[in-house]
Amino acid sequence: MTLFRTLRRWQLLLLLASLGVPIVLMLWKPYVLIEGLQRGGLYAVIALPMALILGVVGIINLAHGEFMMLGAYFAYWMGVYAGLDPLVAMIPAVVAFALLGAITYVLTIRRALKAPELNQLLLTFGMAMVGTEFANLMWTSQPLKPHLSYVYSSVALGKLRFGTYAFIYTAAAIVLLVLLQLFLRKTRLGRAALAVGQNPRGARLVGIDVNRTYLLIFSVSIALVGALGAMFLTRHSVFPSAGSPFTMKSFCLIAMAGIGNLPGVVWGGFGLGIAEALVSSFRGYGGWADVVFFAVLVAVIMGKSYRRQTA
Amino acid sequence: MLAVAKLNHYYGKAHVLRDVSLDVGTESVGVFGPNGAGKTTLVHAIVGLVRPRSGDVTFDGRSLLRLPTHEVIRSGVALVPQERELFPYMSVRANLESGAAYIPGARKDLPAALQASFEMFPILKVRARQLAGTLSGGEQRMLAIARAMMSSPKLLILDEPSLGLQPSLVTELFHKVRNLGERSAILMAEQNVRQSLKAVGRGYVIENGQIALEGPSDELLRNDHVRRAYLGL
Repeated sequence: MTLFRTLRRWQLLLLLASLGVPIVLMLWKPYVLIEGLQRGGLYAVIALPMALILGVVGIINLAHGEFMMLGAYFAYWMGVYAGLDPLVAMIPAVVAFALLGAITYVLTIRRALKAPELNQLLLTFGMAMVGTEFANLMWTSQPLKPHLSYVYSSVALGKLRFGTYAFIYTAAAIVLLVLLQLFLRKTRLGRAALAVGQNPRGARLVGIDVNRTYLLIFSVSIALVGALGAMFLTRHSVFPSAGSPFTMKSFCLIAMAGIGNLPGVVWGGFGLGIAEALVSSFRGYGGWADVVFFAVLVAVIMGKSYRRQTA
Repeated sequence: MLAVAKLNHYYGKAHVLRDVSLDVGTESVGVFGPNGAGKTTLVHAIVGLVRPRSGDVTFDGRSLLRLPTHEVIRSGVALVPQERELFPYMSVRANLESGAAYIPGARKDLPAALQASFEMFPILKVRARQLAGTLSGGEQRMLAIARAMMSSPKLLILDEPSLGLQPSLVTELFHKVRNLGERSAILMAEQNVRQSLKAVGRGYVIENGQIALEGPSDELLRNDHVRRAYLGL
């Protein structure tokens, strides 16, 4: 009983901290809060499609960021040849990357599913390297970026003046989270995906076509991350290794949130974004941002396992 | 309805099913035998979870051997596996719904089927919002049976339903199985010969992967070999 009470107090403290930190930041370093929400939104939105396949149906995809990078190139060349704005190019990107995802699944992933998980890791790690080198050979390592005037829009609030465009990532993360939750709870395919993730054999025994479910969910994930590549391109330049840090960060966010916890991925993304922005705000310490990212990750995972032991 | 003809299966070099043939009409049929006799392999072969080396399985005149498991299930066969194979992080209700949601013919009758499950196993109604993984072993077994019945199968296959249950529950379980026989044909693999013989009309005894005996339940009850080896008389 006392244990229960301390646990509750602990949780209350956590809640206060998660509300208090933004308030303190808003008064002390408002730019950190803004920058953190924008950056964290980007991390979160890119991690969500990976959370769908890793957390829900249980496929590890280490080429996640590379698909995003290819999506960004796709949008860039759509802009050059067809004159499409990257945000408009998201629509053809969804179609093209759903197809690419389906082909990738049928030719490779499906064959590694029954093997131990290490094979999936090696396979998708290999695919990541193929993707990077392919981009390198095709388009050189030169960073590419379309010129878009609307990304420099900004507003002034009192003395505060900041760019508003990057909030698109924050908004996209929340919208995508809501859509994915609705998809998993309300649609038949979404529920089938949850069933397959929890017990593939049980899923077969209630009449679910497990292989088709894997195929569709994997395609949806790749279609989403391809389209998000186009959205990424509006603010960032694309180059062959642009995607790999996102694979790493997505993977870490999912580990931090716990497998299958989609809202946790978004809150974790915001938390890490703010932590990184805070470190970068001290002049001369910007290089520590990644260290802080992984330090927060280690702390959260250790905290979780500590709680599990005491509970 | 179900006809198994000369089924052979190997695990490596071990010959685990030897020319197994059996028929299920509209009645309840038992498959009895000790651990390792091949009962589970047999039911897995019927629903396509293992691919036998030779032989055939036909259901309503259609061969099941080339079909993937989900198509076998959609054609009207339901299996309650030994390991139950529930979805542990879904509620009891969601588990039940999953039994009908993916069967085109059963989907529209889902509310009625849910009602029928709650009537058959009232404890499931009490636990409806609880996660399936938090149920006791006996409750999970009931949930697995109810989930299989959600699809209104023509044939219900039960693999060792009494495994791990306390004796009083076993009696109750076989009583329920008897009632289920009015809605579906039943094929039940069991080790508990004494009690399960009362729930079925006909039985097969399988030993070392071979059908050793077959006949109506009362005949098996009088058979010397069955009395000595399975009933301890």
